[in-house]
Amino acid sequence: MKNSLKVAKWEYKQNMNSKSFIISLFLTPLFFIAFSLFPAVFDALKSEPEPVKVYLHDEIGIRDQAETFLKSQGVKWEIENISTDEVALIKDKLIKEKNSAFVSFSEETLKNGEVKVYTSKKIDKDFNKQVQLLKSPIQRLQIERLNIPEEEMDVLTKGIEIEATPVTEKAEDKTKDPLKRIIPGVFAGVILFSIVITGMMIFQSASQEKKEKVAEIVLSSLTSSELMQGKIIGYFALGITQVFVWILLIIPFIAWKSDIPILEYLIVPETLLLLLIAIAGYLMFAAIFAGIGATIEDVNTAGNFQGFVLLLPWLPLILIKPVSANPEGIIAQIGSYFPLTSPGILIIRLSMMESWPWMEIVISLVILIATIWVLMKLAGKIFKTGMLMYGKNATPKEILKWLFHS
Amino acid sequence: MSKPILSVNQVGKSFKDKRIIENISFDVHKGEIMAILGPNGAGKSTTIRNIMGIMYPDEGSVIFHNQAAGDIPRHTIGYLPEERGLYKKAKIIDLLLYFAELKDYPLKKARKRALEYLAKFGLEGKEKASIEELSKGMGQKVQFIASVIHEPELLILDEPFSGLDPVSQEVFKKEIKELAENGTSILLSSHQMNLVEELCDRLFMINKGKKVIHGVLDDVKKQYANFKCTIRGENDVKTLERISHVQRIEQEGEQFTIYLDAHIKPTSWLRQLPDSINIEELSLDRISLHEIFIDIATGKNALQEAGVQT
Repeated sequence: MKNSLKVAKWEYKQNMNSKSFIISLFLTPLFFIAFSLFPAVFDALKSEPEPVKVYLHDEIGIRDQAETFLKSQGVKWEIENISTDEVALIKDKLIKEKNSAFVSFSEETLKNGEVKVYTSKKIDKDFNKQVQLLKSPIQRLQIERLNIPEEEMDVLTKGIEIEATPVTEKAEDKTKDPLKRIIPGVFAGVILFSIVITGMMIFQSASQEKKEKVAEIVLSSLTSSELMQGKIIGYFALGITQVFVWILLIIPFIAWKSDIPILEYLIVPETLLLLLIAIAGYLMFAAIFAGIGATIEDVNTAGNFQGFVLLLPWLPLILIKPVSANPEGIIAQIGSYFPLTSPGILIIRLSMMESWPWMEIVISLVILIATIWVLMKLAGKIFKTGMLMYGKNATPKEILKWLFHS
Repeated sequence: MSKPILSVNQVGKSFKDKRIIENISFDVHKGEIMAILGPNGAGKSTTIRNIMGIMYPDEGSVIFHNQAAGDIPRHTIGYLPEERGLYKKAKIIDLLLYFAELKDYPLKKARKRALEYLAKFGLEGKEKASIEELSKGMGQKVQFIASVIHEPELLILDEPFSGLDPVSQEVFKKEIKELAENGTSILLSSHQMNLVEELCDRLFMINKGKKVIHGVLDDVKKQYANFKCTIRGENDVKTLERISHVQRIEQEGEQFTIYLDAHIKPTSWLRQLPDSINIEELSLDRISLHEIFIDIATGKNALQEAGVQT
């Protein structure tokens, strides 16, 4: 273990001194911030839309109420009252003008609920929605005319909302907060992403060590399993440092842009389980990368088989759609049991599900941990032979031979 | 003789059905330079890799005398493999300190030794440079330093002179001698006989995985290296063949190399040369290790002809 830590420290230090790593370390969160600022910048650049010119023929004296209500909903119209004489000419006017409309409130409106609205050919695309808002002041005026007391009027104008609530065994607190699950889930997802990305560097590091022919001199000082462990620990530390820097830069930004108390959501016991899943995911892929990396001397001439290995961590992306559509469905369950997709799928599911399927979580983790154990053993065997084989990339046939004959 | 540090006993190794080395046995003693010699592909590196635990022998054993059986005292061995390489992007001093740290050698001492060695090998002021900035020869010097930075008891050098220019070869030779004088046991392999002849105390010559000669250098020379006489002048081979104690003659234009029987007395042999021989130049010396080596590598068995028992 002592030797592994020395290797880990070396790998960590070498990468932290590498300009390209440092650049990507800071560029990633800066890109994130820049991209999330883009929409705001575009909004700022976009000129305010011209307000719709509304010719209003108001026979019932509703203009003030309507205008106040529209304002409260953020709708800006340029309203011009017109007389009954002018109504006859309004159609001609609308044909000539752009972005204009005619709205007429008459006694008919109160009686039958009919509002006459004409628009010019071209008009703000939101106008149709905006005009619907007029229903509310009209209804209110209708009720007023019926001489119903204020309180009863409130009841009538409130409208009706219908919402179905699924019945579960537990007493549900009705104030569902999706962020409660999503924030720790996203956090664990980012960690998994970061450590798997640095874990891919193990692949490169093992292959580079072969290419630079330094493996033999290193292996004269320690065993191959110590070297492999050291690399796995070193790149884990590197991944965690990466997340730490990202979080340090991004969390204050999110706190500034929104009022979400991220830390409160994060400091919950559930985060620990999600972190455990992320770390297990790392260990599994790290073992695969270390083993396969040790079979490659030149990354550029590596065969499809080895290239395919680098795609494995992205396997859960294929399932993301069915799993997010139904986090309790059969695909989600299979995805959680299959080790290569298990960490990613579990994190996605647990970020979406209000009550966690503990039995499934335990089974998935047992399968995952057993897989890690087996993969570490196998990777160790491949690593031991692979690191000292110079001059060519190993074929899948050779790799199989090392697994079963050493 | 001082006590052995390392004993290799009847070690053999095969890959698939091919026998790479067999029945290899020798000791390395404290403070001596022991050389494994042989042509390319003879099994030198395989022998060394079996000692270093990079491979495991199929039969026989490797014993480090200051260590419990089966353990390789990695911290007290220095190793320069035949396949050379270093982390290209790393700074020289970082790399040397990393290798020292892997051997549990105190870092402060390691830094001091690293700087001393860099100065000694003409790399003063380069400690902050990265390996990729160095020439191949300089890189080899750094590798050599990496193998001795922790003051090993036993230093194993696999082809230490390959790829070096003559000046660097001299620097390495001097350093290897100095290390041995200071008590380091050294096992080195080489195919460059002339370099090793000046350097080693004992040798183990190997061909096609088997021992050919093993012993103290001077004894080997006395015992195995017969005399040869080189004559330049216009002569008939037949005349020369009639001289007594001649085994065979090689002719190259006007130059004749006459290989002589074992145990002749040089003065008596010279005295009985016929007057009719035309001599422009004459030299009499022993067959060098180099020639024995060439004979082995090219398949001629000069040793057998010379009556050498192997």
